[in-house]
Amino acid sequence: MAFCACSCSHSKQDPSEAVVTDSLPMMVMQIQKCARLYTTEYHIHKIVTHDDMVRLKGKVMNQPFSIPLPLGERKIAIPLDATVKAYIDFSRFSERNIERNGNKITIFLPDPELVLTATKVNQEEVREYVGLVRPHFSDKELSSYEQQGREAILAAVPEMGLLESARANAARVLVPMLTQMGYDEQDIIIAFRKNMDLETIINSSLERK
Amino acid sequence: MKEQAKQYKTLILIACVAAVAAVAWFVHSLSQSEVSVGVDDRINITPEQIESIKAIGQWEFLSIADEDMVDTTRKGFFSDDHLVRIYYGTVRLGIDMNDVQPDWLQVEGDSILVQLPAIGLLDDNFIDEARTKSFHESGRWKGADREALYHKARQRMLDHCLTKKNLKTARQNGDAQFRNMMRAMGYNHVVIRWDQE
Repeated sequence: MAFCACSCSHSKQDPSEAVVTDSLPMMVMQIQKCARLYTTEYHIHKIVTHDDMVRLKGKVMNQPFSIPLPLGERKIAIPLDATVKAYIDFSRFSERNIERNGNKITIFLPDPELVLTATKVNQEEVREYVGLVRPHFSDKELSSYEQQGREAILAAVPEMGLLESARANAARVLVPMLTQMGYDEQDIIIAFRKNMDLETIINSSLERK
Repeated sequence: MKEQAKQYKTLILIACVAAVAAVAWFVHSLSQSEVSVGVDDRINITPEQIESIKAIGQWEFLSIADEDMVDTTRKGFFSDDHLVRIYYGTVRLGIDMNDVQPDWLQVEGDSILVQLPAIGLLDDNFIDEARTKSFHESGRWKGADREALYHKARQRMLDHCLTKKNLKTARQNGDAQFRNMMRAMGYNHVVIRWDQE
């Protein structure tokens, strides 16, 4: 069908009309219902760099060698910005997440999770240096470096200690909601199920200090 | 004399065996050798820096993961140049708590009235550009051309995903989720109203 659509649109086109044409079908769409409360947004910046030199590599008589050839070097720097968000999944929220004791209310939440919501290549700031006898970086090579940069960001995110701020911000969203329901701020406790030690229990009154 | 000749023969034999072994070892080593011309396609190790941390309050009720193939053609004198890329993005629909009215929750006994803002797009930037796949390239293309393709893909995804049907589905799901949450909080009668889109 997609082929038919393309061929139809081509047959109608006047060859002298457009200099630039863009006409390809949408590929896949996946729709998912969810109930996520995003509490924190992180902007992460990385400059992806790559430099390559043509080398004669190999192994002779079990001795490895790598000799740079005088064909020139290529270098590229790609600034990459990523947006990571922390969210609490409310899809399984029920009475079991709530505990009341007189006027006090404790809400137990699952631990926050992180998701990479967007990445953007700063095309204007990309810098490349190419030796005289070397070809320019192809679109495929650029995509490969960008994908590797994205993977590096994903690998680094768990080490950044983002979840603590995500927990604190969850309280900042939920506490005003509960005060509107009639609870006093000092009577509200937001706790996280996975780590029930004191450090991770975020009391709204403690947060203000 | 005879004894000396015998010793010479033994020495010659040993030398021949050693020579054959040396040649065999040399041939074997050469067969194990490999020589190639190539470049490293890995990126260098550079740091990742957190530029900002922002507290937000956004409820997401529907996410639409989309992938779109976008192309551009440049007419040439002898032949045309083409660039075809596949972009990936996730359009997230929901509400932003910054948009709620001051009295968006009104409690009366075991009843609660929840007034929610209209469902909308949570992020303007929703394309995962670093995940983009290059499908085809002929000719030389600049960053500005890729930027134009990015905006084209973004607009196309918005056209596909920001439909009345999807907005309605997100609102229905938001309605169900808030109702469920308020019931869990102990309110038996929950009324949910939405601001006009």
